[in-house]
Amino acid sequence: MATSTDTKTNIPDYEYLDVNTNIFHIDAFRSEWLNRLQPSDFSFQEEDQETSDAHFAAEMGISAETMDELKSACSLDSLRCHPEDQPPDPEVVPPDPTLKTLVQRKKKQDHKATLKSSKNRHDLYADELERLTFGTRPEAVTDMIPEGEIILTMNIYYPATFEKFSHVRPHLTLLMTGSHTLAELRDAICCVSDLQVCGEFSNTPDMAPDFISKDHFKSSFFYFEGVFYNDMRYPECQDISITTIEWARDRNFPPYTQAKMEDTRFVDLKVKVGFPYLYCHQGDCEHLVIITDIRLTHKNDCLDKKLYPLLTHKHRVVTTKCAVCHIYIGRWLTTNDQFAPSNPCTFCEKCFRMLHYDTEGEKLGEFQAFPYVDRGAFN
Amino acid sequence: MEPYRAAVTSDCEKLLSRFHETDSVRFQVFSKIWREMNFSQIFYGTVNHQKRAFSRLILDSAYSFFLPPFSFQIRVGGLYLLYSLHQSQTAAPPEQIRLALKDWEDVKKFEKDAMDAQHLDAIYILRQLMLKKAFHFTAMPTHLAFKKLRKKEVPALCEKFIERACRPQEFINNDLLEELSNIHELYGNLKSSVSETSKESSVNLIRQDLIPRLRRTVVDFHNWQHRKGDSEEEEGSGEGASSQQDCSRRAGLIASIKSKAYGEAPEARRSRRHRQVEVDITSSVAGTWKSPAYIRRKIASLRVRTNESLHVSDDMHKGVASASKITHLTSLGFAAEDTPNRLNGGKDRIRVPS
Ligand SMILES: [Zn+2]
Ligand SMILES: [Zn+2]
Repeated sequence: MATSTDTKTNIPDYEYLDVNTNIFHIDAFRSEWLNRLQPSDFSFQEEDQETSDAHFAAEMGISAETMDELKSACSLDSLRCHPEDQPPDPEVVPPDPTLKTLVQRKKKQDHKATLKSSKNRHDLYADELERLTFGTRPEAVTDMIPEGEIILTMNIYYPATFEKFSHVRPHLTLLMTGSHTLAELRDAICCVSDLQVCGEFSNTPDMAPDFISKDHFKSSFFYFEGVFYNDMRYPECQDISITTIEWARDRNFPPYTQAKMEDTRFVDLKVKVGFPYLYCHQGDCEHLVIITDIRLTHKNDCLDKKLYPLLTHKHRVVTTKCAVCHIYIGRWLTTNDQFAPSNPCTFCEKCFRMLHYDTEGEKLGEFQAFPYVDRGAFN
Repeated sequence: MEPYRAAVTSDCEKLLSRFHETDSVRFQVFSKIWREMNFSQIFYGTVNHQKRAFSRLILDSAYSFFLPPFSFQIRVGGLYLLYSLHQSQTAAPPEQIRLALKDWEDVKKFEKDAMDAQHLDAIYILRQLMLKKAFHFTAMPTHLAFKKLRKKEVPALCEKFIERACRPQEFINNDLLEELSNIHELYGNLKSSVSETSKESSVNLIRQDLIPRLRRTVVDFHNWQHRKGDSEEEEGSGEGASSQQDCSRRAGLIASIKSKAYGEAPEARRSRRHRQVEVDITSSVAGTWKSPAYIRRKIASLRVRTNESLHVSDDMHKGVASASKITHLTSLGFAAEDTPNRLNGGKDRIRVPS
């Protein structure tokens, strides 16, 4: 008997209430919506009011007079809570509010006013990224996202390497379209471990910056619902999922399969919304990936294909500053460093050189030095 | 934004509660309450970067009132609330109303009910939202990020907004009783025909009083429900009393409409008796399930849907969802008909009945 939890249905419903959905095929979900809607419902054009009203009157079989009466009964003017010539200031909480929301807001603002205000520019521009692309249309028609396309919201979480990050779950949020491939998502994920330089360079600090991880360890995979999607675009790429697959096979786990990241579009995937999946790169840098939303495109969306994947949120992490000047972000990490106040310790480029090398560039004392890219470097 | 959720829900409930007391589905009645409560102000004083987050929160809160298990009247109020909030929000770009695919059927059913009852303002406002592209057609009503709450707060649904269970009355109706007594008789005859000797036997092959008993049980349930409602009304005091009374008065009205079905005795009508002579009993019984009258009342699909909604009962997390489905089953199309306008003859389709 067909039930709402049947895997054959592509109508998403909760698997666990308010947590995640059952599994469904994204393109089939899209078709389910398109089958139910009129093309005008998801069109990027807005039908004009008069035409629409005329259609409505005809459909309902009502006279022009009744239609006018109906329109005035439903007018937005009837929602206005103030005299027309005395517009209020919507930026302030009105005096003596009765709505509980306003009482609470007022209390909070009064409390805030007593504190020393330290406005954070990052908070102020929190959703600026999305606002900037609101309703953007491309210059070339060919870059226009078609009506009825899917938009996905993805959260990519940073590896929880430090205990103190475990409760804030820093992440970045990206918007993707259904026709994007997983490889395009992979290229949009910026992670410091892709920039991390490997090796100890205390004797040859000038040699360090040429050696970037992404150029050397290209292999990576996504994992969604029993399938490992490997990046096989470059000859150096290796199938790094095979170890896991073989390990699982030897232990009688349900079989896992493989596919290519670059050949898989989002609409081809079967997923659960809200469920944690995996992105793994650099061998062991693992990120949780959660698809938090899937929906049809809307006329207010950024409709320029070229601007996707679209970054809408980037968590700020506390940057590790240089131990000497406390101004610049750390570029070097040293260990067993007799000059350092802590072990390990971070220094900016300038302070590192001044403290650890003489004017001839000769290394002073004993220490190991590792080029360091701070997690907050992209803030 | 999360700290505001409770206050926002409470404000929405307050507005809808006042709307509920009017027993009306007119937008003019709704907008009057909106103005009296200065509801547009709910957006005022939100800090710039929080405007969109607040719009999101309040639209999501209002959305739930637009869906079952709430009664048709509350759902009309929920629709008006969504429309008014969407149009009054101070966020730019505006937030849209998230409409989940799984809720689409409920919205279509709602539109049909409103259409059947000719509630032009409700239909018009739903169409206005479509026209203004106020919906995001989504997978789920909210974004989901695998946030498992340690202490799950089960949102208390406002009881009086929910329609009282009436499925027993609807399911065990006169037609069903008639059909049942017919089948019962055929079954009895069949039983006695295979065991000639037992004609005078003391063995009870069938339960003789099945149909009257079934009817009596449903009537008892109906009466018990009625009495329970009355006593609740007496318990109500102070501020909530008037709305409580209002609620039970309306429930009583609905109940009285439904109870008309019990005025007649469930004797099999002569017109149905012809089936007795049919030889192939199994096929004739099967046939009755497909007769147009039964298809119209969707008894077969009801059984399917009952199984659907009971299937998940072992899953604690689905508690609320499955409960809502069961209640949804009970609102088989009468919701649109029990509003005062219909009772007044439905002539006045826009104005408030005075
Ligand atoms: Zn990484
Ligand atoms: Zn420094």
